[in-house]
Amino acid sequence: MTTEQRVVSDVDTSKQIALVRIEEVVKHFPIGAGLLGGQVVKAVDGVSFEVRGGETLGLVGESGCGKSTLGRVIAQLHPATSGHIYFKDIDLVTLKGEKLRRMRQQLQMIFQDPYASLNPRMTVGDIIGEPLTNFHIARGKAREKRVNEVMRICGLNPGFISRYPHEFSGGQRQRIGIARALILNPTFIVADEPISALDVSIQAQIVNLLEDLQDEFKLTYLFIAHDLSVVRHLSDRVAVMYLGKIVEVADSKQIYDNPLHPYTKALLSSIPIPDPDLEAEREPILLKGEIPSPVNPPTGCRFHTRCPIAQFPICSEQEPPLEDKGSGHQAACHFPGQL
Amino acid sequence: MATAPSDYALQEDFVASEQYEVGESVSLWQDTWRRMRRNRLALIATAFVLFVLLVAIVSQFWTPYPIWKQGVGPTYQTPTLKHPLGLDQSGRDILSRLMGGAAISMEVGIGTALLSSVIGIVLGLLAGFYRGWIDSIISLVINVWYGIPDLLVVIMIVVITGRRELLFIIIAISITAWVNMARLVRGQTLSLREREFVEAARSIGTRDFSILFRHIFPNALGPIIVQATYLVPSAIIFEAFLSYLGLGVPPPNPSWGAMTAEGYRSLQYAPHITLIPALALGLTLVALNAFGDGLRDALDPRMRR
Amino acid sequence: MDGVSFHVDRGETVGIVGESGSGKSVTAMSILRLVAEPGRIASGRILFGDEGKQKDVVQMTDDEIREFRGNDVAMIFQDPMTSMNPVLKVGFQIKEAMAAHERFTPKQARDRVVPMLKRVRIPAPEDRAKNYPHQFSGGMRQRAMIAMGLSNEPHLLIADEPTTALDVTVQAQIIELLRDLNRDLGTAVILITHNLAVVASLCTRVIVMYAGRIVEEGPTRQIFKSPQHPYTWSLLRSIPRLDEYQHEKLLTISGLPPDLTNPPPGCKFHPRCRFRVDRCLEEEPPLGEVDPGQKARCWVLMRNALAAQPQQAGQP
Repeated sequence: MTTEQRVVSDVDTSKQIALVRIEEVVKHFPIGAGLLGGQVVKAVDGVSFEVRGGETLGLVGESGCGKSTLGRVIAQLHPATSGHIYFKDIDLVTLKGEKLRRMRQQLQMIFQDPYASLNPRMTVGDIIGEPLTNFHIARGKAREKRVNEVMRICGLNPGFISRYPHEFSGGQRQRIGIARALILNPTFIVADEPISALDVSIQAQIVNLLEDLQDEFKLTYLFIAHDLSVVRHLSDRVAVMYLGKIVEVADSKQIYDNPLHPYTKALLSSIPIPDPDLEAEREPILLKGEIPSPVNPPTGCRFHTRCPIAQFPICSEQEPPLEDKGSGHQAACHFPGQL
Repeated sequence: MATAPSDYALQEDFVASEQYEVGESVSLWQDTWRRMRRNRLALIATAFVLFVLLVAIVSQFWTPYPIWKQGVGPTYQTPTLKHPLGLDQSGRDILSRLMGGAAISMEVGIGTALLSSVIGIVLGLLAGFYRGWIDSIISLVINVWYGIPDLLVVIMIVVITGRRELLFIIIAISITAWVNMARLVRGQTLSLREREFVEAARSIGTRDFSILFRHIFPNALGPIIVQATYLVPSAIIFEAFLSYLGLGVPPPNPSWGAMTAEGYRSLQYAPHITLIPALALGLTLVALNAFGDGLRDALDPRMRR
Repeated sequence: MDGVSFHVDRGETVGIVGESGSGKSVTAMSILRLVAEPGRIASGRILFGDEGKQKDVVQMTDDEIREFRGNDVAMIFQDPMTSMNPVLKVGFQIKEAMAAHERFTPKQARDRVVPMLKRVRIPAPEDRAKNYPHQFSGGMRQRAMIAMGLSNEPHLLIADEPTTALDVTVQAQIIELLRDLNRDLGTAVILITHNLAVVASLCTRVIVMYAGRIVEEGPTRQIFKSPQHPYTWSLLRSIPRLDEYQHEKLLTISGLPPDLTNPPPGCKFHPRCRFRVDRCLEEEPPLGEVDPGQKARCWVLMRNALAAQPQQAGQP
């Protein structure tokens, strides 16, 4: 019997080397340019954290918190408004043109919607093989051989190499997207909600595939999701995002066992567990209202408008910094762990 | 403990995918043809267009009588067995000239459609993809060009340069006809560039040029082909009109427009000289438009109005 | 959907679980006879009401069915935006929902709007009644839909994926709301969802559907503790859980749900089933009672399968 357990290691994590360091990254989108002019959506508003080599960092938050935008900024699909993104000590934000393009070999992305992220006019072989063409790595027979290999690794039948994406199911399409991201042997993959568009019984297949690939190819993942159960299953560390800010970062075990930020705690308590007995005992912490607009985020701590333990005026006036509250557990809260 | 060894899981997915997951392979064009076949009007139109095209090709090698030869029979003769469509005012065989006219119409139509599509596609792609100042300039040209009557421009070009050979006519019409194509392609490009697969292409290091021609262009191809199909009849009628005014392909080339104009003077006693080329022109235009409609509906059922 | 039979008791909360294409939504639509062309209810009965004076929805006239919808049964959908009129104020739409039936006088209907909004915990209900749907957030819209559905005091509320489009914190609010309404008003709830965890937190009974059939049915606790159909069993082991401490491999269900125009012979789940026996390939099992109150459509049943293959046993 093979039990593949990846128990959270007790090694001092601070000694692990950061592969990607994100420093004060800001991403603002201008909206409604014109007479009113100058309104901006503060999608990501000053975010710093690091992703360590070989780990999975889960980035969670509700819709509109900026997690997908942040993922795209890190994957260099949107330019950052300001800040630095160091990848192996190279600041990606300063890279342009051909240098940035070269860097993409090591930095890949898996998209949420397996229907939208594959070109419907290209065959599966061309989709998966395109990165090889882009970097003149292989062509013709050699390319086909490598595509076959990656398809097999990702659980796709190489016999379907000349089929079109619309002939595949959602799960298989996501495998195609994963194969495309994998073929260049990247070191870092940003996975933006890769399973949330899939049927329940298919999700586990993709989760397991991502895990297998990580073990086999020593990949580092930034795994973006709103489903905290999946994040817990996959991640070594977790970053929680709320309205353009990181509110808490910690080891997966710490964050689930002992969340310090009231938002994290409420989020965790909101997620139902598929066990009626446990559910009967749990009492979710119900938050007031919904996530405010990122155009005019609340002053002070952005969560104070919904926070059950907010104290005034400190929470509405002073923005709490994201700081270490002991043993690498970072939280941005004036009253950590008091909920 | 519940376990599923990874090899086992992968293997099993693999088997299942072969058995159950992938349906029959249908390409876009097979699918289009399948839908087109169900549209009877479009089928008839397609058959007619193919027929005209065939006649045009045949006319390059063989016509019943030489196209330009006068006096092969009595002038103004109505249809007979020897001359199924009769003879014109110079005693030329109308069937032969009609065949030659088909070739000219098709050359002008297809030539213009190709040339103006290339101009429109390139400018539209550039404007839609790069936006910014490139888009501002191209859009300005499009809008200014749009406001000037096409006919005026073409007539001026022809009159000023005084050149009337076929290729020049095609160029003159194309200079005005690319505008709609450019608009269409620009709009398509603007929306396609925001699609996730374009983002994905960028993430795997695809160069702009490849994104344009491997990702955006093929996905805009359906509407482009439909638009190009509509360009053919509009160029044909444009040329016919020019010839009618005496500004088209110079005689004795048998343009349908010129034939209609020439016969006009004898409309009362020999109406067939005018009516036959007019009918040919009308039917071809209707067929081309119906073909375009059918293609549009078949390519993308959602585009149907 | 093929041969589906089940019942919902007065004031009960029943969850119908299945993947897309399993027939769970069609089942609910049939209760209101809302099946879209070319679908139709080919046979069967849908009985509503107390023992002895039941009405058959399938036999109802168009007038009766109109009266039945809204008055006896209300339905809310995944995307409330599609079922609300964007150019009418929310309060007006709730009033109209009551005016369409004759339970309340126009004045009563008008007076009930604000209390209904308050009941579904919309803050500042007086002001909110004057808003248009697009001025509401997703969660608020869903609340307004529930208010509209409940305005005629129906006996049954059918909620089709009511929280799927919502964030988890908002989902928790809506589930809590449905639970309270069920307890306070005694409205029976049919919750249609793909999310097993939501069912566990709200429903007392579960119906699991696969390929247009009920494959398992029973009290929630029993189904989650000892599922007897391999599909239910696998599904429970394929979802990661928030309370799971170890990184343990998820169990996968291989392949895809079957194409319903060309379903496999025998048991519809057998191509994806790791416990199948020869009989499953040929003969479709009936939905038989396996424990008091619990039924499953399987020749093998998990208890036998696990006894034969002890290495597959495990905690859910």
